[in-house]
Amino acid sequence: MSEMKWPYPAKVSQVNRMEADVIVLGGGIAGCMAAINAAKRGQSVILVEKGATKRSGAGGSGCDHWESAATNPCSGVSPEDLVQAMLDDNDGYNNGISHYIECREGWDHLQDIEKMGGKIRDTEDEFKGAAFRDEKTKLMFAYDYKNKFTIRIWGTTFKPAMEKECRRLGVKIVDRVMVTSLLTEGGKNGAKCVGATGVHTRTGEFYVFSSKAAIITMSRPARVWLFSAAYPGLCEFRPMCTIGDGHAMGWRAGAEFNMMEKSVRAEFSSAGRSFPPYSAGNNHNTWYPASLIDAEGKEIPYADRDGNILTDVEQRFQPAKGQHYFLKGGNIEQAKYAYDGPETLPYDKLKEMGYKLPFYADLSNMPELERKVIWGMMVGQEGKTNVPVYKNFTEAGFDPTKDVLQCYGVGWTSAEFLPQERQLFGMPGGFMNDWDLMTNIPGLFVAGDSLFSSNCFGHAASTGAYAGRKAAAYAAKQEGFIAPCETQVANEMERVYAPLGGDPVNGVSWKELNEAIAKAMQNYCGEQKRDELLLSGVDLLNRYEKEIVPRTYAANPHELMRLLEVFDILTVAQIILQACLARHQTCPKLEFYRTDDDGKAMAPFICIHNDGEKVVAREVPLDYAGDIRENYEKHNQDYMAEKTKEVQA
Amino acid sequence: MKEIKEFGFRQTPPATPLRFNAEKCIGCNRCMEVCMIDVMTPGEKGGHPVVSYPDECWYCGCCVMECPTGAISLHHPLMNQTRWVEKASLLKNRKEN
Ligand SMILES: Cc1cc2nc3c(=O)[nH]c(=O)nc-3n(C[C@H](O)[C@H](O)[C@H](O)COP(=O)(O)OP(=O)(O)OC[C@H]3O[C@@H](n4cnc5c(N)ncnc54)[C@H](O)[C@@H]3O)c2cc1C
Ligand code: SF4
Ligand code: SF4
Repeated sequence: MSEMKWPYPAKVSQVNRMEADVIVLGGGIAGCMAAINAAKRGQSVILVEKGATKRSGAGGSGCDHWESAATNPCSGVSPEDLVQAMLDDNDGYNNGISHYIECREGWDHLQDIEKMGGKIRDTEDEFKGAAFRDEKTKLMFAYDYKNKFTIRIWGTTFKPAMEKECRRLGVKIVDRVMVTSLLTEGGKNGAKCVGATGVHTRTGEFYVFSSKAAIITMSRPARVWLFSAAYPGLCEFRPMCTIGDGHAMGWRAGAEFNMMEKSVRAEFSSAGRSFPPYSAGNNHNTWYPASLIDAEGKEIPYADRDGNILTDVEQRFQPAKGQHYFLKGGNIEQAKYAYDGPETLPYDKLKEMGYKLPFYADLSNMPELERKVIWGMMVGQEGKTNVPVYKNFTEAGFDPTKDVLQCYGVGWTSAEFLPQERQLFGMPGGFMNDWDLMTNIPGLFVAGDSLFSSNCFGHAASTGAYAGRKAAAYAAKQEGFIAPCETQVANEMERVYAPLGGDPVNGVSWKELNEAIAKAMQNYCGEQKRDELLLSGVDLLNRYEKEIVPRTYAANPHELMRLLEVFDILTVAQIILQACLARHQTCPKLEFYRTDDDGKAMAPFICIHNDGEKVVAREVPLDYAGDIRENYEKHNQDYMAEKTKEVQA
Repeated sequence: MKEIKEFGFRQTPPATPLRFNAEKCIGCNRCMEVCMIDVMTPGEKGGHPVVSYPDECWYCGCCVMECPTGAISLHHPLMNQTRWVEKASLLKNRKEN
């Protein structure tokens, strides 16, 4: 290995300067939709992506269902109802603004993606007559067949279609460039965003982007508690390239964050305990509602929320008596009674009843179209399933009409983790946003999984499109470009390149540092929090920053990217510790537990930012978004008029 | 047994995610260019890319989807290869009990 020469030219210290009205930082689902929508409104757009836009990000390889399409023609729920349920289910600790955008506009953007070449309907009539298919529109639904607000999609077709649309609209795509920092007016903390910097992951060339508006779409943090030096690519649910760079650079620039104290006991890490998602037997998400059988082939009963056993497969798709609709799919945490859906009996009960492990997912006895839609459509279109699961299993002889796939553990996560093995999974914290999806930094917008309490493909696409629109409007109002502060640029160049000049023999590698951070977070920021522990964590991480970061080494631009990521993970870990320190009471909906709870009333949202010298925290009411519909309409008259015109035409 | 006259070194890989079929590969590097993790680097001219960072693979399958000739296969690490059985074999268990 060490004798091999790096195959790309070295361009360290060469600076490439580019300019556009709107820059989009991260080319995943939200980023592509943001770029497309800003370009459609006549602004020049640069899209900067660490990997390759065609397939990069959590949704690049596929996606099998689009959630909360409350305005599709078959939906039985209103966007107001659905967002109210999401808020209520989380006792208000949720992003009302972004989820309303998802519920209200999602269907518009899904139709746009269809026009770009994404497949969203069963045009070949492969599933004609199925209970989940609407014969008129040929749309196919998942989970709640009565209310039809989750749409099954052929997600493997989406990302390449979005990338093509970006190019058609003249978006300048800059692949293989890792964004490293935000540039602010005069280099000041919290001042207007005037651009960003980046480094090429193959040549080391430095990039300076100038802009009138910037959109952060780099997803969310990972590898904060979980790491594996042997399988770093597998230690989290999300791809290796998304580890929270956006959060770290936002923090350094003075952006405000919400809910960063929330973390959950890990659910997926196929580097260790669990199996690759959707490759093991289970009955959730992609596999909902597969039949499960026990070690002796005995079928495991499904029940409604009141414990009534469901005798037919058809009942697994119906709300309970007197219930309007139920939440399933991306909703992984146990929903409240009001929104709870059909489910197999809990494991303890099954054990009592004599069911024996291991369990298996059994599609063989399901109605033919239900079997075919799980094995072949959902498994096949879902992220990471097309090749390593559907293709490989089929080639190895797996036959869903007679074979059954083993479940590991007893839940869909296929493993049980320790309390200190934590993850930002489900709907974790992130950037705080207003009704324009703008942050507290003027000109800095955010979309997708970078937003606080966000999740899912449709949410990313919808908030991406929305932020693209808002950023375009903002850019159009600016007088011109503000030149970047050259001291800020020079300091960033020095920070970025430092590890290339490190000690090749004794320098600390990205893996050693990542492992150390993860262990520190397990020790000092596990399930039970208290001030002394958290402060010890702060102390240790500060020491890593001062003493270890300057001793790191990267042999080439690829390893430099990995190291810069770990520096960002270090910053994210510090944000999390600070957010934990700012909350003084246990808050179950944030899975936040304090053994030194101060006994006062539970605080609402706690937002924190770094003002350049210290951490500043403030409380924000849970209903800060106000009347959701009224405020949406106040902020989106132009969009609503556009849509009305389209319908009339 | 193969005759062995001398020993060498191998960096112990925890897994080898990708296998190339040299006969099918046309050396276009499309697999390498589509990978979001940049796991591969260019190989010899006309040949397939080198898997320089196999540990960083996310097992998404995009490289396989992109390959125009079907020259790559991707496999989960051995520990992650899940198991299935014929349902009939379970029912047989039940009778024997
Ligand atoms: C296996 C899997 C299956 C899923 N299935 C579903 C599903 O069926 N339905 C559903 O609703 N949701 C699903 N999701 C979730 C959904 O894919 C995500 O919520 C969605 O992709 C988030 O979009 P995003 O744009 O915020 O992030 P991403 O799509 O992940 O994009 C982030 C992008 O930012 C880039 N980036 C990161 N850091 C930098 C940097 N420093 N510089 C430049 N670029 C950077 C990354 O390379 C990446 O391309 C699934 C996720 C996974 C992992
Ligand atoms: S499976 Fe995905 S991460 Fe692994 S080499 Fe192929 S494209 Fe890259
Ligand atoms: S895409 Fe296929 S044909 Fe092209 S280099 Fe890769 S393996 Fe070879």
